[in-house]
Amino acid sequence: MPPSRADQRGGAERGCGQTMSGFLEWATHGVKRGRLEFRSRPMVVLTVIVVVLALVAAVYLMLVSRTAAQGRRIEQLQTEIFRLQRENEQLTVEIAEVTSVLQLKERAAALGFATPERLEFLSISE
Amino acid sequence: MAEGPRRRLALLITLLAGCAVLTVAQLIKVQIVDHRFYAHWAEEQWIRAIRMDQPPRGVIRDRDGCLLAGNGVRYAIEASPAYVIDHHEAAKELASVLHMPASHLEAQLSSRDDNGELRKWIRVSQSVSKEVGEQVADLKIRGVTVKPLWRREYPERHLASHTLGFATSETGYYGVEGFYDAMLQPEPVEWVGPVDVASAPVPWEPIAGEFPRRGVDLELTVDRTVQALVEAELERALQEYQAASGTIIVMEPETFGILAMTSLPSYDPEEYPRFLDEDPVPFEDPAVSKQYEPGSVFKMVTVAAALDAGVVTEDSVYHDEGWIEVGGQAIHNSMRKVYGDQSVADILVESLNVGSAWLSTRLGADLFYEYVQGFGFGDVTGVDLAGEVPGQLWLPEDIEHWHPSNLGTNAFGQGIAVTPLQMTVAAATVANDGARLRPHVVRRRIASDGSVSTYQAVFEEQVIDPETAQTVTDILVRVVEEGATEAKVAGYRVAGKTGTAQIPIPGGYHPEDTIANFVGFGPVPDPKVVVLIKLDRPQSSEWASHTAAPTFSRIMVQLFTVLGIPPAGGELAAEVGS
Repeated sequence: MPPSRADQRGGAERGCGQTMSGFLEWATHGVKRGRLEFRSRPMVVLTVIVVVLALVAAVYLMLVSRTAAQGRRIEQLQTEIFRLQRENEQLTVEIAEVTSVLQLKERAAALGFATPERLEFLSISE
Repeated sequence: MAEGPRRRLALLITLLAGCAVLTVAQLIKVQIVDHRFYAHWAEEQWIRAIRMDQPPRGVIRDRDGCLLAGNGVRYAIEASPAYVIDHHEAAKELASVLHMPASHLEAQLSSRDDNGELRKWIRVSQSVSKEVGEQVADLKIRGVTVKPLWRREYPERHLASHTLGFATSETGYYGVEGFYDAMLQPEPVEWVGPVDVASAPVPWEPIAGEFPRRGVDLELTVDRTVQALVEAELERALQEYQAASGTIIVMEPETFGILAMTSLPSYDPEEYPRFLDEDPVPFEDPAVSKQYEPGSVFKMVTVAAALDAGVVTEDSVYHDEGWIEVGGQAIHNSMRKVYGDQSVADILVESLNVGSAWLSTRLGADLFYEYVQGFGFGDVTGVDLAGEVPGQLWLPEDIEHWHPSNLGTNAFGQGIAVTPLQMTVAAATVANDGARLRPHVVRRRIASDGSVSTYQAVFEEQVIDPETAQTVTDILVRVVEEGATEAKVAGYRVAGKTGTAQIPIPGGYHPEDTIANFVGFGPVPDPKVVVLIKLDRPQSSEWASHTAAPTFSRIMVQLFTVLGIPPAGGELAAEVGS
């Protein structure tokens, strides 16, 4: 014979003060009936807590993932900055090499220019 | 409920409860009791010192912004053999790009440590070009990484190598690189934080600190065009006069900024390791780090001091008997010539040792050395180059070294050792109306944030009055026009003095070898450049008037052209008109 609802409530209210057999009686009453039975009020509280915790966890996860995504983006930008910096420095050196005095002299000579043997300054009157 | 299931359920619940208690107990142990131990252990694994990519070293440019020292990119090829999946295939692919034997690479990639495990890290290649590095990166081989490295490069190669110095991947040595090393160094950003399995910072942790800053860029007073022409002339002089080595300095007398400074033999700063085995290594800048006895060029200091002190005038006359005794030592003129009555101006024009010694004795030791020190001898000039030496000047209080005869010999540049830069500074002081400034090489510093610091001239001392400086200048013009005529420059008035110095050796002076030097400035009366020529052991002629003086003339002609200094008096204009 399954216990009445009043008996169930009373059993739960007696709670931890009960003996092991009483506790088992209370814990297994649903089994006896072929299905688990829970009291509705604690279930609601529990559900609310779980939902709130889940929401908090979801928000936290979202924030962490966004931070990580931003961090990754910053990292990529930094890598790009360093890459461009390297590119710039290398190009600066290469430009300096092709416009070096030695290169210019060689190119000038190849184009037929020569060092003047005599210089003349012209006095330009008004 | 039957007794059996009930008992089993009770047992199950008891077991689960026991497990829960054990779990909670373990959690309490791990999280509370042994918290410190585990926290420390965890930190050891995932907290690391993280260093952001190194920004480049500051660059060095000439006064027109032309790059003299910059930063090229090289790559180090590294690998983690433990993470490489197919060592054979990886070695094959790398070999095709690195042009190294595949077998050697495979052996490297399969190398194991003392425990018999694949190594965590190996360096496959120390330094490869940018192109090769990028090709390796494009292969995307798992476990092989390409690490960019900065390499100091000097696009003008040998040009101004002594002035620039050189830099390894970490430190600058000699010249500007050495003197300004701390400033040229980039500011690395390093912090301690969590890393992932690849030792990269985790992306959700904010980066501590600022973005790393590159080193400070330097702009020199050096003009690369002037530097190049001076180097070409020095090379020509060494060949033409068969000199062993030499130095040329070009300085602006208004600011004491160095326009060009070169010494031969020199070296390619980019290839500095090749010169490490040479004896002596050519890294020291002879212009500031090596001293020599200047000889007769020093007479300009003696004459300037005597005129400024008022012990003589330009026209004062003394009787030259060909020798004079100072401190018990007889001092003779060159070739033991006797000149008879001579003026103070003649002492410079004829380059008289006896006259110089006569002047220094008229001044007295205290006053003479006061002027010598005033011109900057016996101490470093304070130029912003690494390795400057003070020269050697014994004063009367140095009782172990100074002898009363020094007063006579020092007057014509013997028994005193100076650096080429000190001698240039002394001449620049005369050209600058007697005011000595501090010589310098860097004229602007540009920080990574774009802020610019401009060099402010440092006034050292008003050594002689402007009137005295003018008088000495006029005498030095006479020296060129009447004595060292090979230094003349058509269309311009230039001032200068030759010096053929003996080379001290243990027990006396070298019987044959000399140092030929010439220091002068022009155009007079408004000098724009001071030039010092020093040729060591010229073989074609021992006399500076035949070697250093014509070199001075050739350089001045080109300098006036390059710097846009027109001739005085319309001499050439008239020529063109005719």
